[in-house]
Amino acid sequence: MTRTNTGSLADLQRAFQDYVLVSQQGFTTAVRDTSKADRITLLEVYRDGYALRLIEVLTNDFPGVVAMTGPEEFDTVARTYIAAHPSRHPSVRWFGKGFADFLATTPGDATPAVAEMAHFEWALGEAFDSVDVEPLQAATVMTVAPEAWETISFTPLPSLRRLSFAHDVPPSWQRREEVEPGTLEAGPLAAPVPWVIWRPERVSNFRSLEPDEAAMLEAMIDGQPFPALCEALLRHVEEDQAAARAAGLLRSWVEEGLIASFSH
Amino acid sequence: METVGFGLGLRHEHYEEILAAPGKVAWFEALSENYMIAGGQPLHWLDTFRRDYPMALHGVSLSIGSIDPLDERYLGDLEKLIDRVEPLWVSDHLCFTGLRGINMHDLLPLPYTEEALDHVAERVMRVQDRLRRRLVLENVSSYVTYAASELTEWEFIANLCKRADCEVLLDVNNVYVSAFNHEFDPVDFLRGIPRERVRQFHLAGHTNNGTHIIDTHDHPIIGGVWDLYAEAVRLFPGTPTMIERDANIPPYAELLAELDVARGIAERVMREPAREAAE
Repeated sequence: MTRTNTGSLADLQRAFQDYVLVSQQGFTTAVRDTSKADRITLLEVYRDGYALRLIEVLTNDFPGVVAMTGPEEFDTVARTYIAAHPSRHPSVRWFGKGFADFLATTPGDATPAVAEMAHFEWALGEAFDSVDVEPLQAATVMTVAPEAWETISFTPLPSLRRLSFAHDVPPSWQRREEVEPGTLEAGPLAAPVPWVIWRPERVSNFRSLEPDEAAMLEAMIDGQPFPALCEALLRHVEEDQAAARAAGLLRSWVEEGLIASFSH
Repeated sequence: METVGFGLGLRHEHYEEILAAPGKVAWFEALSENYMIAGGQPLHWLDTFRRDYPMALHGVSLSIGSIDPLDERYLGDLEKLIDRVEPLWVSDHLCFTGLRGINMHDLLPLPYTEEALDHVAERVMRVQDRLRRRLVLENVSSYVTYAASELTEWEFIANLCKRADCEVLLDVNNVYVSAFNHEFDPVDFLRGIPRERVRQFHLAGHTNNGTHIIDTHDHPIIGGVWDLYAEAVRLFPGTPTMIERDANIPPYAELLAELDVARGIAERVMREPAREAAE
């Protein structure tokens, strides 16, 4: 089949997209007025719709951020993000992927607490529709031979996310629907607190971690063997307590469904 | 005649209500992109409802008219979803949704030119070859008319069906909206679509701004659209019908009641004397 030249079709599509994205004006001559409406009014339907649709997506994905900023400030920030980060994915599901980093790195647009809230909400979203894996059962761990504990390593659930917040973000997020929009606050903490998000079945869980637990979890995520997980605790517990603490944490992780599998 | 019947769009707001009131619709239309994900609740619900209802897949990001290359990764994900759902049919929109790798997440109209027809027909055939099925393409609501257009929208669609051997998802509300916006007779549109190519109807509500109508899917269906639906049933009898509601979503029971209106119109049309005489 002979391919036709798409020159004018291409020009029209480029001009339309540029009109919506960057207000390029030349395109207006490509469309007609009607007896009821002029072409600018009609073209504005597309320009308005583009921004409103994506603001709605961000509003739905980041309700905690909206509760902190209020809808007006959120609208302003969202429009700046939309202008800087056009969607490059077939699904709007992924449009907010860069929003938290944008909030953290764009001067004047948001406080660090707001950026942390966005990170938390995006991680919750990632856990929500990540790959389904049946958590490791305690009975299966019991079958591991004693000598295998020298080399055994564990794989967390695909949904598991490790985060650290300098503000009281997750407890604040739980109040997001109880407060007037714009009044939610996440106060600063004396020291950053590690958190974990995971989804053992259909409902996501999150909780804070003790410093030693966070260190061991990091080592597990890195794929380190069980003896190294014990070592990761040594900065926090006495050497003679490390193995017992590691075993206890591992047991609780299995019970809570944080772990997908092991190998040795 | 099709026997698929009357359905609704599958929306997460209704999941629990659908479970509580089974068998109220004959089929569901699932939005493809919502389920092109790795796992979690959305796929759990999709599988749950698929066990009990036939389903059609309806996409918004195929961008069949774009000058960008076809998104092979998207098509791969769509193939996986098709394997999972085994849908009644697979539809998307006759439009472009962006270019240069950007997705505008909007259904942007194509100019109705021979050049655009060549371009779209070739891409439809490639997608159909890959998916090993006919593609069902929906007429979109549009707000601008291109000075460059050489054909009417219905001529463009009819030619596309012939050239690419594809089918039509006839959105009755979109015909109404575009007819108002572009000042043509919506019945001319319906009469211009080849009878044997219409696979499905969409019905929806819209927002009338006086000078133009916007396809918002956030209101009940208005009388003028119901009248046009009756005409569509006369021209394309037995075509599976569903209602799209994407914003301001009411309780499931309210949409079921609206679907009953559609059923009533279709039954009334089928009993019309002229039709009975013809059959």
